[in-house]
Amino acid sequence: MKKLRLFNISCCLVLICLMVMISAVGCAKNDEDRTTIRFVTWKPNIQAAWDEILEIFEDEYPDIKVIREIGPHSSTAFHDLLTQKLKNKSTDVDVFLMDVIWPPEFGAAGWAMPLDDLFPASEQQKFLEGPLLANSYKGKTYGVPLFIDSGVLYYRKDLLDKYKFTPPKTWDEMVIQADIITTNEMRHDDTELYGFSGQFKQYEGLVCDMMEYILSNGGTILNGDTGKSGLAQKPALDAVRFVRNKIIGRAAPKGVLTYQEPESLDLFIQGKAVFHRNWPYAWRVSNNSEKSRVAGKVGISVLPHFEGGRSYSALGGWQVGVSRYSENKEAAWVFASFLTSSRVQKILALKAGRAPTRKDLYSDEDILKANPHFHDMKDVFITAYPRPGTPLYPAVSNVLQRYFSKAISGSRINIKREGRAAAKEIEKLIAMEKH
Amino acid sequence: MRLSLVNREKLFAASLLTPCFLFVVLFAFYPIIYSCYLSMHKIILSLPYLGQPFVGFENYKELLNDTHAYSSLINTLIFVFTTTFFEILFGLVIALVINKHFRGRGVVRAAILVPWAIPTVVSSQMWRFMFNDKYGLVNYLLYGADTSAYTAWLASPEMAFAAIIAADVWKTSSFAGLLILAGLQLIPDDLYEAAKIDGASAWQQFTKITLPLIKPAILIALLFRTMDAFRVFDLVFVMTQGGPADATNVLQFYGYKKIFAEGMMGYGSTISVMVFFVTLIISLVYIKVIGTRLFQERG
Repeated sequence: MKKLRLFNISCCLVLICLMVMISAVGCAKNDEDRTTIRFVTWKPNIQAAWDEILEIFEDEYPDIKVIREIGPHSSTAFHDLLTQKLKNKSTDVDVFLMDVIWPPEFGAAGWAMPLDDLFPASEQQKFLEGPLLANSYKGKTYGVPLFIDSGVLYYRKDLLDKYKFTPPKTWDEMVIQADIITTNEMRHDDTELYGFSGQFKQYEGLVCDMMEYILSNGGTILNGDTGKSGLAQKPALDAVRFVRNKIIGRAAPKGVLTYQEPESLDLFIQGKAVFHRNWPYAWRVSNNSEKSRVAGKVGISVLPHFEGGRSYSALGGWQVGVSRYSENKEAAWVFASFLTSSRVQKILALKAGRAPTRKDLYSDEDILKANPHFHDMKDVFITAYPRPGTPLYPAVSNVLQRYFSKAISGSRINIKREGRAAAKEIEKLIAMEKH
Repeated sequence: MRLSLVNREKLFAASLLTPCFLFVVLFAFYPIIYSCYLSMHKIILSLPYLGQPFVGFENYKELLNDTHAYSSLINTLIFVFTTTFFEILFGLVIALVINKHFRGRGVVRAAILVPWAIPTVVSSQMWRFMFNDKYGLVNYLLYGADTSAYTAWLASPEMAFAAIIAADVWKTSSFAGLLILAGLQLIPDDLYEAAKIDGASAWQQFTKITLPLIKPAILIALLFRTMDAFRVFDLVFVMTQGGPADATNVLQFYGYKKIFAEGMMGYGSTISVMVFFVTLIISLVYIKVIGTRLFQERG
């Protein structure tokens, strides 16, 4: 009896599905009704570039309509919004941007669709290795790299030339140069000038900045194979101590403890900082004479390192992912592969100063003309170091943010003890993964 | 079969109450019960292969040993005590001022409510900007054009915490004032006239007449403010994100981060349930106190 009813119901369902499909086909032919996909993105720094990209897409794929859902600029806030939708298996998301640290989480949670069939190895070869690695988790690929970010050092070319300095190789050298330049410059008149500006607020960016100090001193944050954290070891502790004693409130104003990227860049383009750590996009902003007082006076270089270490840049950047709950996966993939194509990456490089993820674009003449620093920085982009790759990254990051912020905000904190506690907490989190 | 009049009345009353009851069940009880249910499970969104095992009170045990939860509880308590103290104090002053008859009282009354009417997210942004280390109004008022003396208020753990308290006091004092004003207006004028005839000074009038009679209103303001302050979230979210050095991390923000950023549904719910029980206990204590006071005064 019951079985029969079930059969009836499923028959009905199949019929309904068929009817819907037939009518859908009919509609598609009608040209009027286009497939609509929703693209969750953040508010871009340079809006015009994105408008242009979407216009081209709509011209070339008249069957697909893209609706942009603009999320917050901050990566953390964007993550909360996007995962909230994906958690609820929302069909309102088809294509989304992913920060470089999310693919393991999105893959493990089943939010991002594995793209291996659509994004074959032959195509993958054309991309830089670091960002590709960041997009894979347990042998599957969950996103296509759109642009790459990596920490670089900006400096005031005019000031360094004036004092006959070359861009600093080590952090100590940078602090000394900054000290000499600021003391002398401030003596002349009442100019306000600081040595350094970076991102040290308790947020995701703090992890990137601090990682660069720790790795360039030969330290580690997390060993992915053993699940052990190196935070409590001497190189890491020394690097953190250096930031507390020589950077915060010394080379950099104490206010950097409240700075994210925009505030720290603001200080630099106001001409109030000699050195500045930021992502590649800052090049175009600081050379834009309408916004920047130091346009044309900016130099760019690899980040310094500690004596005996080598320079490390945090790998940042954004990926394009497709939602597993999307009802238009095909159209979504068409859009995703369009976004990561050579020509879109070229537009982003030319108009928004974003560093491409496709290798061959680094020999593109137009791009190099607009971004002469790409030529020298290519090695930095290629060797940029990813943050720990784990599905529990947000939790690991919160531990790191808390520890770093505590360690550098107050002089009374026992860094060794805090470092040991943070390392233990991270190891506990990683152990949860294995259960 | 016909119902008796009493039963019909009862049925009618029940039918009137049902929608309201269902509303409360759906929007208040269900989420609370569901949070309790979640808090007994280990649910980590990014590790779906772990399943959602029932773990009993393990999350609660973990919470008791969680030093970050403990320090955020301390932060929350300090926040609750200082903000309610100042809000009641300023609220009392505000109420006394706008209770007096003077020209333009209507305008002043409306103006005083403006901070409370602004959404917290907006006013938090405003305060964040006022405390800015380079362009902030606070620095300008203190140091004028001498930019070298400008302080990064939100960069020091203690000052950042004080800044959040200041923003909350600014915002909700007028709400406390409004509640106290309601109490003030219930006091009949004859009492003051009688006191004047008896030669009582203004201070005596205040302590012997005003204060005892507005005590219930103050207690209600206290109740509202304590419970609200305990659930502080938006100020922290906008102004400091819990930093620097985790100094402004409060319980609700900690729970939010666990659930929304880290995907730890079980553990995050445990924090919410704890906040719920603490506010419940606080409100029960207050209601008990207020209840007996009112009773005594009537008696």
